Amino acid sequence: MSIDKPTRRQLLSGAILSVLLGASAVDSFASLRHVIIKSEPKQDEQNALVVLFLRGGADGLNIIAPYGDENYYRLRPTLGIAAPTSSKTPTGSRLLDLDGFFGMHPAMAPLLPLYHQGTFLPIHAVGSNDHTLSHFQAMAAMERGLAEDAGDVASGWLARYLNESGSDGRSPLRAVALSDTLPDSLRGTSGAVALTRLSQFELKSPTGAGGTQHHPNDRSEAMAQTLQLLYSQSGSGMEHRTEDLSAVSEATLRAMKAVQQLDPDHYRPAAGVEYPTSGLSLALKQAACMVKGEVGLEVACINVEGWDTHVAQGGDTGWQASRLTDLSSSLAAFMNDLGDKAARVTVVIMTEFGRRAYQNTGLGTDHGRASVMMLLGGGVCGGRVLTKWPGLAAHQLVGPGNLHVTTDYRDVLAEVLARRMHAENATALFPGLHPKAVGAIKTANPAATA
Amino acid sequence: METPMGESPASRAVGGLAVVAVAAAMSGCGLRRQLAGLDATQKVVWQSPPSDPEVLRVLNRISFGPWPGDLIAAANMGVSGYIEEQLAAKSPQDRAVSWRVNGLDVQQDVHDSPDILSSLPDDQLLTEVQQVQLLRAVYSTHQLNEVMSDFWENHFNIYALKNAARQRIPIEMETAIRPHLLGSFEEMLIAVAHSPAMLAYLDNNHNEAGNMDRVNENYARELLELHTLGVHSGYTQIDIHQVARCLTGWTVAGGFRQWQFEFKPSWHDDGSKFIPFLDLHLSPGGGVRDGEAVLHRLARHPATAQHLAEELCMKFMGVVQPEVVNAASRAYLRSNTSISEMLRPILLDGLARKERCRPIFKRPLDLLVSSLRVGAADTDGATGVQNQLNTMGQPLFQWPMPDGYPESAAAWKTTLLPRWNFASALAGGEVDGTTWKLDDCLKALPGAGMHDVVDHLAEAVCGHPSASPSMKPLVMTLRDHADSASRSGLSHEHVVSEVAALLIASPMYQWK
Repeated sequence: MSIDKPTRRQLLSGAILSVLLGASAVDSFASLRHVIIKSEPKQDEQNALVVLFLRGGADGLNIIAPYGDENYYRLRPTLGIAAPTSSKTPTGSRLLDLDGFFGMHPAMAPLLPLYHQGTFLPIHAVGSNDHTLSHFQAMAAMERGLAEDAGDVASGWLARYLNESGSDGRSPLRAVALSDTLPDSLRGTSGAVALTRLSQFELKSPTGAGGTQHHPNDRSEAMAQTLQLLYSQSGSGMEHRTEDLSAVSEATLRAMKAVQQLDPDHYRPAAGVEYPTSGLSLALKQAACMVKGEVGLEVACINVEGWDTHVAQGGDTGWQASRLTDLSSSLAAFMNDLGDKAARVTVVIMTEFGRRAYQNTGLGTDHGRASVMMLLGGGVCGGRVLTKWPGLAAHQLVGPGNLHVTTDYRDVLAEVLARRMHAENATALFPGLHPKAVGAIKTANPAATA
Repeated sequence: METPMGESPASRAVGGLAVVAVAAAMSGCGLRRQLAGLDATQKVVWQSPPSDPEVLRVLNRISFGPWPGDLIAAANMGVSGYIEEQLAAKSPQDRAVSWRVNGLDVQQDVHDSPDILSSLPDDQLLTEVQQVQLLRAVYSTHQLNEVMSDFWENHFNIYALKNAARQRIPIEMETAIRPHLLGSFEEMLIAVAHSPAMLAYLDNNHNEAGNMDRVNENYARELLELHTLGVHSGYTQIDIHQVARCLTGWTVAGGFRQWQFEFKPSWHDDGSKFIPFLDLHLSPGGGVRDGEAVLHRLARHPATAQHLAEELCMKFMGVVQPEVVNAASRAYLRSNTSISEMLRPILLDGLARKERCRPIFKRPLDLLVSSLRVGAADTDGATGVQNQLNTMGQPLFQWPMPDGYPESAAAWKTTLLPRWNFASALAGGEVDGTTWKLDDCLKALPGAGMHDVVDHLAEAVCGHPSASPSMKPLVMTLRDHADSASRSGLSHEHVVSEVAALLIASPMYQWK
């Protein structure tokens, strides 16, 4: 792929616009085409990226609702959430106003302070080019950083980023999936590990407990050594086995040592921070423990299930509201727990697609196209809704009634990787991407802000 | 070949050679168990594995892994004979396992009074639906049936934690899936389409004709994408929408009949329909026949044959081999959607031929069940083993998305530590409700040296003669481990446990 070298003027306009977008972001970045995102210089301390994937296709239209679009309530007579100004509805059931056009779901109140601080950025009408509306096709494309259809690209976008940035001297906990299995976005990463609880990330021997984190007993140690030998014997009875487990085994054993030093058993969140009881909170707490423990975490991936709301989706209360309550209160706890370190963390919240603009007969929504993508953390140009709003009028919808995708999700990811994670050539990590500036991330690049 | 009820193929083949069923003197056990008359603990006679590695590959995939003695038995029958016998065992009833599962509340209710299922506590339901699957996988002599039961369970995946699914899964498994494991795919597809578990899981119980065609597409979409045609077959959103219209009104009965299917004519979109991909025109007023016509056409569509054949090739061969896929799809279409006819070329011309197969990484369920079987475990299949599955990432019926647990190595191979810890727990006797008897294989070696012990254990677990070149590095490393463990003062029994754990945790044992 060849990209034209940007002129200084293009870089300038992109950067200035990204700063000036402000509340009038609607329609403002149509003119920004083919702007190269410049990598930020690397800092001493490690920045971390936490990627939450909302599985099932989250309904962006009720997460960040376009109450100012006259068609919103027409398409969703039951599911639509009352406007912030609606006098007929109690305050707690109305949208939380963001900019006079968009309102945030009332269950997301815990994130409102972050929005006002400017560290929470919703980006609307984002998506891929997948038209199958199949969960699996859309996820396969998105986790590989492709426009659509996985084709023969096997590696994940995070794997390519991590491998590109080199693995020498990197932490054994640089890439962690906080789940039972490795998500496709990390597929192909050398040294990624998957775990659900740091405190259980220890090897037990059959002759009794594995000892404590600090004092693994001798038998666990001996078992670990033998396992290391067994897994390094490539070809030992493996016949023509193509999948090599030795790298995984080595990564696991190294990560175990790093976790022992972290002492997760004694992790206490910052004073006053209460994580809710949920799988998401548990995962975020592990991530906070690793960030604050400075173990060299670069990427953490978390799956959040339960967004495939074909039926009884609910409005201000109900199923989706309960998911959003968990999401928002968990994230608020996480950001508060991080304290100063939040400045070094970027949270990306993404989903495979959005949902149909109109409600169906089961008071749910079927698979759609564009959804909302959300960023949290230091460096995020938050406090506004960034979008080129495509509109909800019949002629503006695509296919059977879907929100048009006006921002390629990969442009957002590329910008995050370049400006927050110091990726040298972030756009090249996304095959076939014709980059456009989004202006989601602040830049301290003097050449751009001068 | 017909298999007489109650005479399991394996035990018939094995005869007195390897596995001897010894009636256990039981006291105070349930009436059902006594009636079954098969309350037996299987006493195991250990033998060296055959030198032919083909037998091991076939057994690892056509079954959940060899029970002691199975390798020799299968080698004596010949691979083809063994495959044919498993293909012929179409009845999902197996007395080797029925006494273990029939006493569970869910199994009694599903046959006698399904309305009571909804009154069982949630925890019990979740434990028992998994328990039934696990016990069958470990103990059934009709292993291919159980491998296929797991395959279809994932093909028609249902998430037990959505709504009341766990109350409906026993009915789904017993009435929609298991009667057709090796039988007619069309019958299974139709049965699943009428099963409350599936209708509720994929929201078709809310698929009601309404204004502006805003029907619920969820089930229709997955029916085409996952259950039948496959996503690359070429259908479009128009086909999905039309199929969804055909299925309006297919719902779950209300009140105390909530385990039953109901067609609600008042919910049905009775207009005319045209499904371009299926070239299917339906006149107005078709009612429930609309959906039936769609299912019939879908089951017999060449794209469905291709899709199923590819999935089954991956399952048994570890690779999609076009020649085998074509043979399998042809056999399926010729035989009115017979699953066993489709499997025959995949197993006999695919699995049985080494050069056509690729290694398959064991999912956690495969690792768990194969290691229970290889050590002739006595397990209740309940929370002890289920917690292990959970930690390894594959609690049964708990994959939220409709595509079922992944089969690929890439999805699983990053999480080795829970596998290693499972191996330690099993060998250390720390899995609740489960006794592993691997060290029984050492009883024939009284006073043997530590190296003989290691060799023997390695043969028993890995299924290869310990002197074979592929085993050598593993055996040498474990001999060293045992020597050094002994030197450090570990008791003989504990050394045996560690070696056994390391074998289950070894890279070789993660593959099949």
